[in-house]
Amino acid sequence: MSQFLQQLINGLSIGSVYALMAVGYSLVYSIMNFSNFAHGGVIMLGAYFGYFYLTAAGLPFPVAFIGAALTTCLLAVIIERGAYKPLRERKAPFLYFIISAMGTSIFLENIVIATIGPTFRTYPEILSRTPIQIGSVSVGRLDLTMFIISAICLALLVFFIDHTKMGKAIQATAYNIKASALMGINTDLVIIVVFALGGFFAGIAGVLFGMKYTVYPQIGIITNKSFIAAVFGGLGSLPGAVIGSILLGIIETITSGYFSSQYRDLIAFVLLIAVLIFRPRGLMGKVTEDKA
Amino acid sequence: MYKKSLALLLVSLMILTLALSGCSKPATQTGTEGGAAADVIKVGWMGSLTGDQAVWGQCELDTVKMLFEEINAKGGVLGGKKLEVIGYDTKGDPQEAVNVAKRLTGQDKVVAIIGPNASGSAIPIAPVLEEAKVPDIATVATNPKVTVLDGKVKPFNFRVCFIDPYQGAVAAGYAYDVLKFTKAAILYDVADDYSQGLTEFFEEFFKAKGGTIVAKEAFKFGDVDFRPQLSKIKEAGPEVLFLPVFFKEAALIANQARELGITVPLMGGDGLPSEQLFTMAKDAVQGTYIVNHVDYDDPEVQDLKTRYRNKYGKELELNGYLAHDAVVLLVDAIERAGSADPVKITEALETADVQGVTGRIKIGKDTHNPEGKEAAIVKIEGDKYVFQQKYSAQLD
Repeated sequence: MSQFLQQLINGLSIGSVYALMAVGYSLVYSIMNFSNFAHGGVIMLGAYFGYFYLTAAGLPFPVAFIGAALTTCLLAVIIERGAYKPLRERKAPFLYFIISAMGTSIFLENIVIATIGPTFRTYPEILSRTPIQIGSVSVGRLDLTMFIISAICLALLVFFIDHTKMGKAIQATAYNIKASALMGINTDLVIIVVFALGGFFAGIAGVLFGMKYTVYPQIGIITNKSFIAAVFGGLGSLPGAVIGSILLGIIETITSGYFSSQYRDLIAFVLLIAVLIFRPRGLMGKVTEDKA
Repeated sequence: MYKKSLALLLVSLMILTLALSGCSKPATQTGTEGGAAADVIKVGWMGSLTGDQAVWGQCELDTVKMLFEEINAKGGVLGGKKLEVIGYDTKGDPQEAVNVAKRLTGQDKVVAIIGPNASGSAIPIAPVLEEAKVPDIATVATNPKVTVLDGKVKPFNFRVCFIDPYQGAVAAGYAYDVLKFTKAAILYDVADDYSQGLTEFFEEFFKAKGGTIVAKEAFKFGDVDFRPQLSKIKEAGPEVLFLPVFFKEAALIANQARELGITVPLMGGDGLPSEQLFTMAKDAVQGTYIVNHVDYDDPEVQDLKTRYRNKYGKELELNGYLAHDAVVLLVDAIERAGSADPVKITEALETADVQGVTGRIKIGKDTHNPEGKEAAIVKIEGDKYVFQQKYSAQLD
């Protein structure tokens, strides 16, 4: 039983990292209908910004943390302006957006390898590594902090989308971008806001990831999993991205804990494919006809 | 209009970075520039200069460069010929390694290749070497298949390190016979030849001696969270946790294991030692036993360590010691062959018997491995690798 609880906690903690990353994919998808693969690169840079603000600039942690998130926020907007807006103006097919996104992702990874270097770096120890013991179950302080920060950020995001004018504009644009433009919504601004939000979350996810594990140019490998989690939960749906991520984290840990760690990815992803076969729009995705 | 030029600029930047990182620029080229071709002997080097193992690749290349400069300053080889190294990045990618081998043998016409350090890259280059008839001396590629495949020795592949079965067997023997552990757990990388090789032989030898493997768990390259596997291992209650992995994973595993309350000693192979291990997980790796190629406190290695530190201002990583021995082996073979002809060098390598800093290297004709090389068992205490003893396991 205690192993089960421990595995559940492990799963929640892994899932909450996926969730922070998945939200960015979902936000952009809901408006632009394409998967922004550059998001992984922005997360990776967020981890690096946080690291350098802390070590080279010597900033206190909260400042470095917010600073990194603001920097990636700006970066995401720049990427939108540079890599996607020109395509949007030419009404390019969606495939081109995906190619452009992949190109940006490879570009970001390689610019880090070329300038900062390929080796990984370690964040200074900000929180003690000694875990909190509850009975025979141990909960890492960092995991708990991450879980709380993720929860607060996601709650704020949901509030923003549901209760502000801009949030309503985002919803309307997600429903139908052309009609929204005709109704007088500045869809170009909406797109900027969506990328800014995605970038902000990427920064937070990057710093938390870097603190917990390490910082290296290939963080993108992990973000692929969070993308899959977003698809599983239903691309374009925020609660879907969060639930999909948490479920993926738990499925992974339970598979390694009770079946076989050798076959973890095999079992976990066969399960995901099975869900998608029966429910192609993911757990909470919108019906595709809505978006046509 | 300016938007168009911005887009163009971005696109060209992207292409440029791709070209810079992915294509044909040699990572280094040292030695005499512009000398008559006959006076220069070109030696290739390949290894990882990007990714997790870049620390080691860079150290190898730097060591080879340093040694070649020293040899050239003393008058070179074969009575006055200068050595020159041409190094390329394999990115730790087997396919890229094959491309690099083709470029070195076909385009650069090197007489021999040093590296790569990773077995995964050293195995697939054999056909290229055989076609070009150029020998290769692998540094830390410990998988048996690097030099022997299906019981047949690969004619142009050599190495200066001992092999995985040997490391796995040494670790198993030392854990059971010397440390008196009877219950072991293994956490390995299911997607990596090196990790699988060590695991297989550790398991076989530990069981043969009478021990039990209470848990055998896997992860996949790229994973950063190992708590699910570790929680399971904790339940199984091992006395020692064997980690046939590289230092980054080892550091993450060690931290997470301690967080979950696993207190047993850890044990690993030559993938563990690195200065980085301490920056990441100094407290968690205390008391870890490592099967290594070299004892860092051995008086015989101090001179090399100092020369490297003075030149580069960094500590010599494990790979540097083996790169040094690869150079020693190669220079000896060139001198004995009396020529820089790759085939003659290969023949000379088959009968080589030299003293390197990691021990005596006597190449076995049927295996192309250094035969009977002893392993050094070291233990992490503070930020030092404290030498325990030399240990050799019987393989039968």
